[in-house]
Amino acid sequence: MVEKAGYGAGVVETGPLIRAQALQVGYGGDALLPPISVDIGRGELWAVIGPNGAGKSTFVRTLLGLERPVAGGVTLAPALRLAYVPQAGALDAIFPVSVRDFVLMGRQGPGNVFGRAKAADREAAAAALAEAGAAELARRQLRDLSGGQRQRVLMARALARDADIVVLDEPTNALDLAAERDVLALIEKLRARRGGAAVLMVTHLVEDALERADRALLLDRDHQVALATSAAAMHDAPEFQHVYARFVARHPHAEEREGPR
Amino acid sequence: MDAPTWSDFWSNFGIFRDAIITGGLAGLLLGFIGVHVVLRRMVFASSAIAQAAALGVALSFWIGALVNPEMHAAGHMAGPNAHVTPVLFEPVLWATVASLLATLVFIANPVRLHLTRESLLGFVFLASGAGAVIVGDKITQEAHDLSAILFGSAVVVQRSDLVLVSLATVLLVGGHILTWRALVFSGFDPRGARVQGLPTRALDGFLFVSVGLSVALCTRALGALPVFAFSVLPAMAALVLTSRIGLVFGLAGLFGALSGVGGYAVAYRGELPVGATQTALATLFLGAALAARSIATRVAAQRRSPPPSR
Repeated sequence: MVEKAGYGAGVVETGPLIRAQALQVGYGGDALLPPISVDIGRGELWAVIGPNGAGKSTFVRTLLGLERPVAGGVTLAPALRLAYVPQAGALDAIFPVSVRDFVLMGRQGPGNVFGRAKAADREAAAAALAEAGAAELARRQLRDLSGGQRQRVLMARALARDADIVVLDEPTNALDLAAERDVLALIEKLRARRGGAAVLMVTHLVEDALERADRALLLDRDHQVALATSAAAMHDAPEFQHVYARFVARHPHAEEREGPR
Repeated sequence: MDAPTWSDFWSNFGIFRDAIITGGLAGLLLGFIGVHVVLRRMVFASSAIAQAAALGVALSFWIGALVNPEMHAAGHMAGPNAHVTPVLFEPVLWATVASLLATLVFIANPVRLHLTRESLLGFVFLASGAGAVIVGDKITQEAHDLSAILFGSAVVVQRSDLVLVSLATVLLVGGHILTWRALVFSGFDPRGARVQGLPTRALDGFLFVSVGLSVALCTRALGALPVFAFSVLPAMAALVLTSRIGLVFGLAGLFGALSGVGGYAVAYRGELPVGATQTALATLFLGAALAARSIATRVAAQRRSPPPSR
């Protein structure tokens, strides 16, 4: 059950933005993973890592209330502004959506459903596009952009949202190194918003994630989960190393590109 | 007898005025909402809902005759304009209920039955089509009315249908203009919209109910064929012509309205079936849009290509 007002306003300043307690995710009552308990605080960069099919996206969608938990619960601090950055290929190319209109979507919410975009929203969208280095793309169609351009525009929408928590689903997937660097720089900009937005990044690139994240959650198939609560712990924690070793054993080429160093 | 001329058309305009206005409004309404229908890949839903509406109308005739045969026969004796139908057996009411039931099928998620949504819509389409033909066979007196509804050959529209279609156009197009940005967001990126707190279920519900209502009311007035055509073809033509989403909605409404009005006029002039002519005109708009797009693409490619070296 996802609750949106689980604890008092005084706790929000110092307490976690999202608390998952013994959360089990899955479909149709079947759990994909063992129970997971995490507190996600302001300004933290979390990496949710693991191979394809491990349940990474399902886990974050359940955190966001998009999927129903199999067991356990999620508590969100009151009045949170959330943003979701989908995988670039997940958006339907049949929709004729301009870059400007797409970034303006980041300004929509429960209090902004009806009518035209306000001047303040248009200004915020333009500023976000400029911050993402995509101002010159404003009139282009989202579907006509290259992978790197599209990812910058997706990030611009999250910037325009001015969110407390931003969830990125495989933001560096299928990008070249230069585009990947741009995206990682934009993630740092996102974290600087609203006094430190929390960022959850779903990725299968273990190396990059461990290099940058404050916390990492490694999910593997066969119902294995490991949580590293600091950068040092990621490399040293026996539990993390144990799950990671199992992961590498099944994916022998993973260490060359993705292993902890 | 000579074929009717445009002069005949204008001199008899008063007779056809309600039907022409209804056709134009239905085209505007369905063309506008049809943009969502096409973008959300609900094209078959529109067809199935229209077919269900036709079944609803057929059932209203048949059950009305079964329940009260004397009154039904008396109504026929008095002629079509004096035909008094109890509110309970109003065809438009049955069409609306049948359409909304078909809409519920579209909203339902049949994963638990190991079926896709499309397969359920196929079921609705086939069951409604077969039902309408079977019921139509039982009601000889309204066989012509039913044929008009199924194939869109209605020449005269009742004033009550004009009023209902006008009301629906004002309310539904107005509602869609107010919510179009949120509707586009929830259709394009439903997860992103839900995460940002948009009431996506309410928005989807509004869209589906507005499709069901507009299809039901317009099917009663025009027939299933042009209703399906107006909810698909104008939106396709607009999407082919422009990538500006606001303009897509405007053009789709315009093409729909022109198809409704122009189709009626051409049908009169050429002594053609109305619904099929309206559908053909909407098809022509799409064909013209495709041709214009093809020419524009070629011209743009020629401008981009470097001049030949000497």
